[in-house]
Amino acid sequence: MKVWHFTEQAYHPAFEVPGAMRVTLPQHHCDPLEAGRLLNRYLDEYLLADELGLNIMVNEHHAAATCMSTSCMTTLAILARQTHNARLLALGIPLANRSNPLRVAEEIAMVDVLSGGRLEVGLVKGAAYELFMSNRQPTGFMDRFWEAHDLILAALSNTGENFSWEGEHFHYRTASLWPRPVQQPHPPIWMTASSATSARGYGELGYTCATFLSGAVARSVFDGYREAYVATHGKQPARDKLAYLALVACADDRATAFSRAEQMKSYFTTAARLDPQFRNPWGFNPVDANVRMLQAGPAAMRPRMRNGKPVPVDGTIEEYMDAGLFFVGTPDDVYEQLARFHAETGGFGNLLMMGQAGELDHADTVDNLTLVAREVAPRLAALPEMPIEVRYEAVG
Amino acid sequence: METDCLEVLKFGTVSALDVHGTQIEMFTAGNGAPLLFLHGIDGVEGAADLLRVLANDFTIYAASHPGFGGSARPRDINRVDDLGYFYLDMMNLLDLPRPVVVGTGFGGWVAAEILTKEPARAAHLVLVSPLGLPTADRREQHVADVFMLSRQELGRRMQVGAPPAGSDMKRLAGLPDSEIRRLMRNDEAASLYGWTPYMANPKLGARTHRITAPTRVVWGMDDAIVTAAYREAWRAALPQADVETFAEAGHRVHADQPAKLAAAIAAFAGR
Repeated sequence: MKVWHFTEQAYHPAFEVPGAMRVTLPQHHCDPLEAGRLLNRYLDEYLLADELGLNIMVNEHHAAATCMSTSCMTTLAILARQTHNARLLALGIPLANRSNPLRVAEEIAMVDVLSGGRLEVGLVKGAAYELFMSNRQPTGFMDRFWEAHDLILAALSNTGENFSWEGEHFHYRTASLWPRPVQQPHPPIWMTASSATSARGYGELGYTCATFLSGAVARSVFDGYREAYVATHGKQPARDKLAYLALVACADDRATAFSRAEQMKSYFTTAARLDPQFRNPWGFNPVDANVRMLQAGPAAMRPRMRNGKPVPVDGTIEEYMDAGLFFVGTPDDVYEQLARFHAETGGFGNLLMMGQAGELDHADTVDNLTLVAREVAPRLAALPEMPIEVRYEAVG
Repeated sequence: METDCLEVLKFGTVSALDVHGTQIEMFTAGNGAPLLFLHGIDGVEGAADLLRVLANDFTIYAASHPGFGGSARPRDINRVDDLGYFYLDMMNLLDLPRPVVVGTGFGGWVAAEILTKEPARAAHLVLVSPLGLPTADRREQHVADVFMLSRQELGRRMQVGAPPAGSDMKRLAGLPDSEIRRLMRNDEAASLYGWTPYMANPKLGARTHRITAPTRVVWGMDDAIVTAAYREAWRAALPQADVETFAEAGHRVHADQPAKLAAAIAAFAGR
C-alpha cells in the first residue's frame, strides 16, 4: 500500500465564527497574512512528506474556510518544483464547474512537465455547493463532465496534428498543448466513488478509483470496481487502482495520539457547517436520486458504525474509528487498524491519509507524518494481496 | 403519466397531448372563451385555486411546461426562448389562434416570449408577478435568488398565506412518491430554465415593444421576491399596459387572492 499525505489546508482560525463555513462565510473573517502563514506551513508539511518518502495529494474547494486550496494545479505547480520523488495527485479537478477544459488540460500538462512526469490527475464531480460559485448550469452536469473529460484526454494524448472541437458544451478552433505532458498517453486518471454503481463505471475505464471517508461502504465500492474491471479487461485490477481516504493520528503513545485526533476532529464538524439549500442545488441530482434521498432522510448519507448506527457529526474519536474514518494510536495500533480495514474491504493499494486536518498544529503534524512514514508505511507496503475469493462480512 | 397526485385539479381533466413528438400533460377545465394559462415554478397544481374560479368564465388550457410536472422535455428545449416556440406549436395544434393568455411568475416570462415572437396570438394578456426581464444590475438584485433560499424560507416568502406542503422538508419527505417526483421535476425544470442568466432573457426587454395585445400587469403589494425597481422595469417594458396591485397578496397573487384575481382577469378580458 502506498501512502499519500493530504490536508485540506483549512483556515482554522475561522472555525470560531458562528454559522456556515462555506458559501456564505464573509471573507472579512480571513486575515490574509495569517492565510499566507498557514498556506506556507501546509506546503512545508508537503515538502516534509516528500522527504519522508510519502506521496502527495491536494484538493480544491471554493468559498470555504475549510479549504484554502482554490486550485489543485496552483498548489501542485509549487510542489512540482519543490519536491523530488513524491507522486503528485490532484484529487481533484471539479470538471463540470470549469468553463474552460482546454485550460485544465494545459495546466495538467504544465505541472506534469515541471514535475518530470510525477502528476496524477483526479477528474471529479466536485462538491454540489460549488455550483453557486462557478455558476455553471446544475442540469446536464454529468454530460458536461464527460465531454470535458473526452476533450482533456484527447488533448493530453494527442501525438498527431492539432484538432478542433465542436461539442455540445465546448467549442475550440484549435487544441494544441505547449507543453504536452511527459506521461503518455496521459498521466494516470483518478475518479471518486461513494457507491458500487459509480465505481463500476471507473472499473470499465480502468481509472484509479478512490472512495472518501466511506467506511464500510468502501467494500462495496471496491467490489463494484473489481467486478467491472474483470468483466472489461479480463483480469483482476492491480491493488493500486483502489484508494481509500481517511484521517490518521499517530503518536508514540495513545494519549498523545488521541489528543492529536481531537485537534483534527474539527475537520468533520466544520465540513458539516453548510446551509442545507447549498448541499443540493435544484437540478444537480437526477430526479430519481432526489426522491430516494428525501425518503431516506439525512442520516442515510452518514457513514455507519459496526452496530449499524450512523456516526453523529459530533461523534467521539472512538465512533469515527469504529466507522473506519479515523485511524488513531501508536504506530502498531494504526498499522493493525489499517491492516484490518484493508482485509475487511478486500484490499486497496493507496491510503489517502489526512495527516493534517482541522487545527492540528505544525509540530504535531511533523511528528504524525514522520511516525507514519517511518513506522507504519513500510509495513503497509508489505501487506499481502487479499485472496480475492475471501469475503469478510464484519463491516457494515 | 402520473396524474393521480393532482387531487387539487380534480375539477378539470388531465390528459396527454403529443406536441410534435413531445408528450405533454395538459389540464383542461371550464366553459367559455379559450384561456391559455402558463404556470410558474409552482407548477399547474400551484395555481389550482385560481383556475377553479377562472373555469367559470373560460375554457382553460394549462399545460405543464416541458420538464415540469408530468410533461416530457426533449433535449433541445432548454431555454424559455424554446418554450415560446413550443407554445406557438401547441396553440396551432389545439387551434387556439387568439386565446386570453395568463402567466404567473415564470409563466409570465413564457407568455412574453410567445407574444414577442407572434404578437397577434393573444386576445388579452395578463402577466401576474412576471419574471423574464434582467433580474439584477451588477450588485443590485431586483429579484430574490430562489436558488439561494432554503426551502422553508422560499415557501414562506412566495405568498402571504400559508406556504405549500413542499416547503417543509419533513412534510415533503412524507408525501407520496408521485408528488415528491413532481416537485423535484418542477425544481429541476426551474433550474434548467432559470439558473443563469437568472430567471431572465437579457434580450426580452428589447422585444416587449412587439407585444400589442391589451395587457395588464398584476403585482402583490407584499411581494417578497421582486422589488419596486423590477416592477418599474416591467412598466417601462410595457408602457401601454395597465398595472394593478393587489392588497394582501405576495408574489403568488394567484394563491393569496385567487377569486379577486380571477374576477379581474374576467373583467379585463370582457367576460
